[in-house]
Amino acid sequence: GGGAGAARGADPQEEPPPPLQAVLVADSFNRRFFPISKDRPRALLPMANVAMIDYTLEFLTATGVEETFVFCCWKSAEIKEHLQKSKWCRPTSPNTVRFVTSDLYRSLGDVLRDVDAKSLVRSDFILVTGDVVSNFNVSRALEEHKLRRKMEKNISVMTMIFKESSPGHHARCHEDDIIVAMDSATNRVLHYQRTQGLKRFHFPMSVFQNSIENVEVRHDLLDCHISICSPQVAELFTDNFDYQTRDDFVRGLLVNEEVLGNQIHMHVTTEQYGAHICNLLMYKAVCSDIIRRWVYPLTPEMNFTDDKNQSYTHSKHNIYRGVDVSLGHGSILEENVLIGQGTVIGSNCLITNSVIGQNCRIGDRVRLDGAFLWDRVRIADNVEICHSVICDEAEVKEKVKLKPRCVLSSQVVVGPDITLSEGTVISLHPPDEEEEDEDQFSDDSGVNKIESKVKLKGYNKKDVGSEGRGYLWKADDKNEEDEEEQRQSLWGPTLHSEEESESDSDLSLDSEEPDSRTASPQLDDIKVFQNEVLGTLQRGEEENISCDNLVLEINSLKYAYNIGLKEMMQVLSKVILEFPLQQMDANLDSQNYFSALLPLLKNWTPLFKNYIKRASDHLNALCAIEEFFLEHDSLCTSIAKVLMTFYQLEILEEDVILNWFSLRDTSDKGRQLRKNQRLQKFIQWLEEAEEESSDGD
Amino acid sequence: GELMELIRTEGRRMTAAQPSETTVGNMVRRVLKIIREEYGRLHGRSEESDQQESLHKLLTSGGLSEDFSTPYPLLRANVIEAINELLIELEGTTDNIAMQALEHIHSNEVIMTIGYSRTVEAFLKEAARKRKFQVIVAECAPFCQGHEMAVTLAKENIETTVMSDAAIFAVMSRVNKVIIGTKTILANGALIAVSGTHTLALAAKHHSTPLIVCAPMFKLSPQFPNEEDSFHKFVSPQEVLPFTEGEILAKINVHCPVFDYVPPELITLFISNIGGNAPSYIYRLLSELYHPDDYEL
Repeated sequence: GGGAGAARGADPQEEPPPPLQAVLVADSFNRRFFPISKDRPRALLPMANVAMIDYTLEFLTATGVEETFVFCCWKSAEIKEHLQKSKWCRPTSPNTVRFVTSDLYRSLGDVLRDVDAKSLVRSDFILVTGDVVSNFNVSRALEEHKLRRKMEKNISVMTMIFKESSPGHHARCHEDDIIVAMDSATNRVLHYQRTQGLKRFHFPMSVFQNSIENVEVRHDLLDCHISICSPQVAELFTDNFDYQTRDDFVRGLLVNEEVLGNQIHMHVTTEQYGAHICNLLMYKAVCSDIIRRWVYPLTPEMNFTDDKNQSYTHSKHNIYRGVDVSLGHGSILEENVLIGQGTVIGSNCLITNSVIGQNCRIGDRVRLDGAFLWDRVRIADNVEICHSVICDEAEVKEKVKLKPRCVLSSQVVVGPDITLSEGTVISLHPPDEEEEDEDQFSDDSGVNKIESKVKLKGYNKKDVGSEGRGYLWKADDKNEEDEEEQRQSLWGPTLHSEEESESDSDLSLDSEEPDSRTASPQLDDIKVFQNEVLGTLQRGEEENISCDNLVLEINSLKYAYNIGLKEMMQVLSKVILEFPLQQMDANLDSQNYFSALLPLLKNWTPLFKNYIKRASDHLNALCAIEEFFLEHDSLCTSIAKVLMTFYQLEILEEDVILNWFSLRDTSDKGRQLRKNQRLQKFIQWLEEAEEESSDGD
Repeated sequence: GELMELIRTEGRRMTAAQPSETTVGNMVRRVLKIIREEYGRLHGRSEESDQQESLHKLLTSGGLSEDFSTPYPLLRANVIEAINELLIELEGTTDNIAMQALEHIHSNEVIMTIGYSRTVEAFLKEAARKRKFQVIVAECAPFCQGHEMAVTLAKENIETTVMSDAAIFAVMSRVNKVIIGTKTILANGALIAVSGTHTLALAAKHHSTPLIVCAPMFKLSPQFPNEEDSFHKFVSPQEVLPFTEGEILAKINVHCPVFDYVPPELITLFISNIGGNAPSYIYRLLSELYHPDDYEL
């Protein structure tokens, strides 16, 4: 639909700048938060008792957006209702919210294609998902973006916003971790890759090759999932049907850069906060950040949603109390606690680092540490809860202990005197319902169907206790490598710095690689290195890569495998000499061998020249050559020719060759080699040549 | 009556939104008082202004509740006029205060201040036109607004020195006067000022240096300090320990308070647009500005 254009009093020469628009995708298109999000859409999950989408809208409104399109798919009716009751749909709101609902959306790509089809955006817009919490002020980044587009005629398509934060930070989502190579002068993104727990990364050479002076590779960035996009973005999504997520888009754009000429830039902020909630660990981290006031001014006592139930008073140690909260005798609220309106807490409780929703009833002698309780939860006496999430109206009976990372979804009851082990997820929806539910994005309107199934199964007493109600959804597998989208655990991979070293990537070529990278390269390393060099040269030959690139590659391999110069030289020579053997069958006679080798040598002369600079290098090379020919007796005859070629191509110098020849302490075989006639002739010729040249000087 | 209710509701909403901005509440109360006065005038009460001026009347008045429901057509015009007067007064406060500068600052004095206050800046600039003195500015971490203050003062050719908050006590012995601005003046004469002011006040008391507070009257709030310390504003800890510090942040608590409480015993003089006053006199000024019924919005 058409938007409300803000007609400001602008100069008659310029048109008034179009109002800033935003596209908010209120659906994450994955089932990460199941079973919690079966009852409530993800955008309405409460963070510090305020729905996530409220934070996103507040961020957009505060930064000057005047028109927001909210795209919903799953449970859209609930989202719509919530927003219509909130302050953003009041007539006085500076930000007009328009809803676009469809059941057909399956990914971010679909949404953007719809945006393009309906021509909803007229100029640069901000793209966010519904679960972004931020206090970022977009105006500076927006100005830079607009300036870039003006100056370079619409080449820059998108500006991504990142926050600088070091790798160990708890708000850095482990799954979402990225490595970015950027051009520091223009902030242009050159390479973008998800780390996925890998320890080794491959950067394509093209990243470093363009005439860019300063390339920075950064791992200290947190992806805020806020992007400033130009209208071309929507068009590009329409053109490329396989772009489903923003990642696809970024990668596709970078790969096709030469073809389409589009660029992506980035803006890094150090002082302002931005985070995207993709799993429960992030939820916990961002919640605690909100309570500790990192997202000022979006703090709980500000009550930015203007909801009467949400006014808190803020006291020392970040304790926020709502209205009508009653605290029993001897109860201690230690620090970083948020208590919602109307909650009653019993005596002798100890509560830290927790968020408690509205109208909860908590019994006596309860310990809550890192617990997130939503509304109307009832907790009986003597309960201990660590680092868990308990959703609406759930009930926890006496003497229950919840170990870290448990999730109790809504209306679940957990019976008396039971301990739930780490990572248990309990929900009223039986787990195998998921398999039969093919259309994962339809609203749960088939309630009757579900109820009948529920009646068939009883509740497992072992799981939920004698008075409990609920099914064990899935115990956490601790399977971090598991790539199955639907079965990924709610919490996501945990940040254990010791464990990280154990999870090796499967992507590198060699599986026998030792873990310890000690100073002296072990034999395996050299072998591996050799393979790599061989691979490089093969590619070099097939694709006619210039020698400079090959040099770069070999250099980087050298550093990666920690190979010394000497070994490298040896390996290099060996590989090159073996090359024709690899190309064709092993049994060659010297003639063919030499004719195959010659062009290769000519091509790769610069390679050699780069590495053979000092006398010791020459010697190394010669030793390697010697070794090679010792191994391959049949090719002995061509040793002279090879040496001759090396000499003629000015790779090796006469002095060194002569030196090598006259080395006293060689093995028997070596001496025998030297007795090779051809070789002797060559040496003679060399000596004479040398004398001639020294005469001529 | 209705008008007052409306204003009161809005006022309550606004103060609830940001309790540390007391000026908002103050202004609402001023307007309410204006309405009362104008109404009273039209209602035909005698011109003896407020009943609370005389101590005798204070004791005997009691129970005078006015029914504000009688409409007067002139009321609206009068109220609007009075509000305009209020606006003019507000615009002129800084100049009024600055005019008193010459009486208080003498030549060759060393003056200390903290943070950035526009009132103090105007005050010092006015004095600089006729007198020569030096200023030492405490930078007021972590926002370091003292730096901006020093820059603007230096532009007026006042000899300025910037120093860190930790050195306040050490330097105090050389200082003749301390002049500061404030965020709010409380009913008992205490101050809510930028963080670091309490230190400054204590040091001044120790060295018996006079502490002068320059603040316009609209900052005077009828609230008393209570244990809730609901005036406090804690800002993002970003300033103290930046977010980029990483892993350590999960293990520690970082706070960044913005304001400080300064008790009235440490203050020597208040300079406001109606002249200079001692802290113990503040309660009287309250009655001139606000009506007791409005203290609790």
